[in-house]
Amino acid sequence: MITKDAGTIAPAAPAPAAEEPRPTLQKTRRAWDEVPRWQIYLPLSVYLLFTLVPFYWILLFALRPAGSTSLVPWPMTFDHFDKVWTERSFGTYFQNSVLIALATLVLTTVVALAGGYALARFDFRIKRGFMLALLCSQFVPGALLLVPLFQIFAKLQMINSLGSVIIAETVFQLPLSMILISGFIRNVPYSLEEAAWVDGCDRFKAFRIVVLPLLRPGLIAVGSFAFVHAWNHFLFALMFLSDQGKQTIPVGLNTLMSSDSVDLGALAAGGIIAAVPVVIVFAFIQKWLITGFSAGAVKG
Amino acid sequence: MKISIRRSRRAATAVALGSVLALTATACGDDGSGSAGDKGGEGSGKGEITFWDNNGGVRTDIWKQIIADFEKKYPDIKVNYVGIPAASAQSKYDTAIQGGGLPDVGGVGTAMLAEVAVQGALEPLDSRVEKSALNGRLSKNLLDSSRAAGGGDTLYQVPTSANNGTLWYRTDLFEKAGLDAPTTWSKFYSAADKLTAKGKNAFGFTIRGGEGAIAPALDAVYGQTGITSFWNGDKTTVNDPKNVAALEKYVALYKKDTPSADVNNDFTKMVAQWDSGTIGMLSHNLGSYQDHLKALGADKFRGIPNPTQDDGTRVQVSNPVDGLSLFKSSKNKAAAWKFIEFALSAEENSKFNESAGQVPANTDAAKDAWIQQAEPTKLAAEALNGTGTKIVQLPYYLPDWNTISKADNEPNFQKLLLGKMTAKQFLDTLADQLNAAQADWKKNHG
Repeated sequence: MITKDAGTIAPAAPAPAAEEPRPTLQKTRRAWDEVPRWQIYLPLSVYLLFTLVPFYWILLFALRPAGSTSLVPWPMTFDHFDKVWTERSFGTYFQNSVLIALATLVLTTVVALAGGYALARFDFRIKRGFMLALLCSQFVPGALLLVPLFQIFAKLQMINSLGSVIIAETVFQLPLSMILISGFIRNVPYSLEEAAWVDGCDRFKAFRIVVLPLLRPGLIAVGSFAFVHAWNHFLFALMFLSDQGKQTIPVGLNTLMSSDSVDLGALAAGGIIAAVPVVIVFAFIQKWLITGFSAGAVKG
Repeated sequence: MKISIRRSRRAATAVALGSVLALTATACGDDGSGSAGDKGGEGSGKGEITFWDNNGGVRTDIWKQIIADFEKKYPDIKVNYVGIPAASAQSKYDTAIQGGGLPDVGGVGTAMLAEVAVQGALEPLDSRVEKSALNGRLSKNLLDSSRAAGGGDTLYQVPTSANNGTLWYRTDLFEKAGLDAPTTWSKFYSAADKLTAKGKNAFGFTIRGGEGAIAPALDAVYGQTGITSFWNGDKTTVNDPKNVAALEKYVALYKKDTPSADVNNDFTKMVAQWDSGTIGMLSHNLGSYQDHLKALGADKFRGIPNPTQDDGTRVQVSNPVDGLSLFKSSKNKAAAWKFIEFALSAEENSKFNESAGQVPANTDAAKDAWIQQAEPTKLAAEALNGTGTKIVQLPYYLPDWNTISKADNEPNFQKLLLGKMTAKQFLDTLADQLNAAQADWKKNHG
């Protein structure tokens, strides 16, 4: 804890009258330390409460018996979880979602890595146009491409196969992922690769040994983005998959709501099942995720 | 050297472009199999058929039972069940109509029937019904509603069930306050006032202000005024001065006798709010019966048809009718029709509606004991089939009906509740859009 007087630095020379001295990091920290703790924690607590209430509401409905109006989940029951997992096939939906999300993660990361490397390290004639096209593709909503995609997958005999959803998700993830990865690769000095070449590595080996380890935060950021997006995406699974045994969690959640009635307990339990993997993924990768995004943001 | 590099680049570009064009052409050159353009065929009456359930999830179990019964009776036909979430059924059909992959049989409610039929995806069913064992065994009122919703005299949907607007009320709160059942509009408004005690967070009514608000509001309006037709010549009666006055009275309940959060109520929030709070009345349909039963128990509530006028005259708007349609693109229509016939038989139709809590379309099924024991369904069946009931047919046949009654006017209804629009402005806007849509429809249908 720094006291008010401690660490005060007397100016060596008077500053020019016309110029305000820039606050040093030390001064900023001191000013921050002078703020009473309650002024920091109270707004944060209110914000946290505001954020957590919906989660509590979901937990409440998932854990209290059907018909209960209690504000605490007591007596606690896991009947809703049992119902959605066994009767409503969420066990199967969960497996399918995991498979689709993991496959999308791997495919997106690998292809984005190759494309991103090319964008970062090579100059070619249509590079600017290609980058612009990648950016513009982000403005096209998936729903607009449903019919052509449906026809392409039908021609390829891939309707009602998890492969169709994996390919569609990967294709939609790639533009942003390639742009991000190319930014991360540009941050790795080219001289490191050149040094590896001098030591006898070919381009691929130099990339694998020198560049790839430095890209870990970026890869985690891009991979987690791809995973979460594929995990939550509803439209492609609804349109390209028909068999009940191939459906995913978001489609399963929607089937818990009919046109006239909703089983809120089952819906809340399904919502928790859908949220848990995403929460776990973010809990583990949080550190690298922040590093990854900020690294990409410094030099684009 | 430069020239050769340029040439090879040009060649590579040409190959790439050629590949892209070839792939695109292959994709666009779809033969239309399973899309709206495909004529399909009768088939052998055996083999596999695909059935899309437009209320998948909630009705999956009962449909699987019916399919198991069917496959037992017809062992040479296999039915592939596909459950589609109710909210996404329309977009799934639209994508398949354009892109291919339509089913042989599908659940198509009257609310989306016109949009699917107008794209040429459905097989006319009049002659099949006439030649079938179902002839004379289906509710005439529901068949009329199905025909009207399809946009004319052709039957594109065999009705399976009818829903009905229902006024759910808390018998415990009514008894405590010494109130009569809200069977007439006067009793309804009086009860809404007397049950409201804002300090105790008690309200007489919960109004639907969010998604799906228009149809219940129109039901309340026509129910109060007794106007029995939606059209007067080519003009809608929706903005008749009597209707304007009735709507003013109805929306005046907002905040006075209802929670202020009602402005955003879709049916989910409205039902959840009623099931967990101290609100006297809720206007929804038969579909939420099981939710109320679970939440409140059988002794604390009743479901009755919407109120009548003081002299007992009952006028109500038509409710969406669930049904099954045969798709033109089916290559096995004979087997698909057998499935529809089977699902509409008295035994199976009764089983389905008992599970769904709706009124069976098969008149033999409508006599079954379970209906006599389920009071809301019994009263709804009596109201629907009663000779004194006048039904105002909403124009489900207009391809723009869904847009007009949802995206175009739901935000206006919220403005009306919030006092930013008058009832007359709201109904005039609605009437203008309906009149234009009707004129357009008439122009295209001779």
